[in-house]
Amino acid sequence: MNCGDVQIALTPYLDGELDIDRGREVRGHLRSCAACRQVAREESLLRDGLRALPTLDPPGDLWRGIARQLANAELADATGPRWRRVVARWQRSLRGLTVATAAVAIAIAIVAAVGIWRASHRGLQAARPELAAAPAATAPEVAIAPVVATPEGAPCSSLGPRDLAFDLKTEPTCVTEAYAAAATSLLDAALEQRALWSDEHQSEFNAKLDQLRRDIDLASEGRPRQRAYRALIRYLQRVTSRDEVELAGVRGAP
Amino acid sequence: MEMLYHQFKRRVFSMAHRIVGPSDVEEVAQDVFVRVFRGLAAFRGDSQLSTWIYRLTVNASLSHLARRGRRQEVGDEILADVPAPPDLTRDPGLAARIEAAMQHLPPGYRAILVLHDVEGMSHEECAAILECRVGTCKSQLHKARARMRELLGAIGDEA
Repeated sequence: MNCGDVQIALTPYLDGELDIDRGREVRGHLRSCAACRQVAREESLLRDGLRALPTLDPPGDLWRGIARQLANAELADATGPRWRRVVARWQRSLRGLTVATAAVAIAIAIVAAVGIWRASHRGLQAARPELAAAPAATAPEVAIAPVVATPEGAPCSSLGPRDLAFDLKTEPTCVTEAYAAAATSLLDAALEQRALWSDEHQSEFNAKLDQLRRDIDLASEGRPRQRAYRALIRYLQRVTSRDEVELAGVRGAP
Repeated sequence: MEMLYHQFKRRVFSMAHRIVGPSDVEEVAQDVFVRVFRGLAAFRGDSQLSTWIYRLTVNASLSHLARRGRRQEVGDEILADVPAPPDLTRDPGLAARIEAAMQHLPPGYRAILVLHDVEGMSHEECAAILECRVGTCKSQLHKARARMRELLGAIGDEA
């Protein structure tokens, strides 16, 4: 240990914060080095002097001054414009927002923005006359979303208060119904876009759609049918998103 | 409210006194307590009440110094203000000299010296009040003491 090392370690050494081995090294150096011993002595005196400084008493009228300032501030609050009080209340509320809440808020905003963009994108396509006039004769008849009933005959969406046993019993049916609804929405979107595609692309799409619909019809109730719906949903998502990417590339991002 | 004031008045006043000096201490201490009482409803309990109050004290003191523009480099000319006796160990005026020398430290050094050495807080408490890492506190304290030794040692040499 040289003098530089010791002088860096001196503050924690004097405060008793060094471990035994390191403390012994510093002590050993101090025994042999008069210059470092002098520095240690000065720092020790300084530390003791600082610790011995008394706590100070404030003047007796300090509280009166504080009370006066608080009264003035309350008066300003009461007589100030209403918007300032509202802003202050909002600031207090916002201070309670956690990072997680902020993240959820941002996620909701992003989802909403994407939804709006997609809606406006579809609106743009519908407004284009050349797209509306495009041939659609090869479009297959679509009836993907059957009204799925629960075992008791009531559709999932119209169910009233239920108990847990009932929920568990009806859960597979309700999930299938939700998949069917999602597939229908996606299919609507894909059919709107189909007019833009080449004949080859349209034929390919129709064939794949027929195959996936057959899979759904052939699948047994419950999880196999849900799997078949998921396959259709994934395909439709791929087709519609690819189309949007291509369109965005041609027209520029909205 | 007044009870809270009486509980913390001496420590807040002492800390503010040693950071901003005697001329502005009352103004800063009043400001601290007004902030405490007006912010008490929004205090979320993330830290101890005392830590929060001392953090307000240090922040108010440092902000006051920044506003006042009293940040100044210590030159040899200031040492003349602080007369030094020859032997530190038997120095009856050591406390006064230390107080005077502290006023010539940069505000950040002054804050850590007041919290750790004068008020006897741990490095963890200091880090919570100053909102920095424990390691930063330790290195700041080392530098602050070295600066103080320079100030006091130079005074001794001059005498």
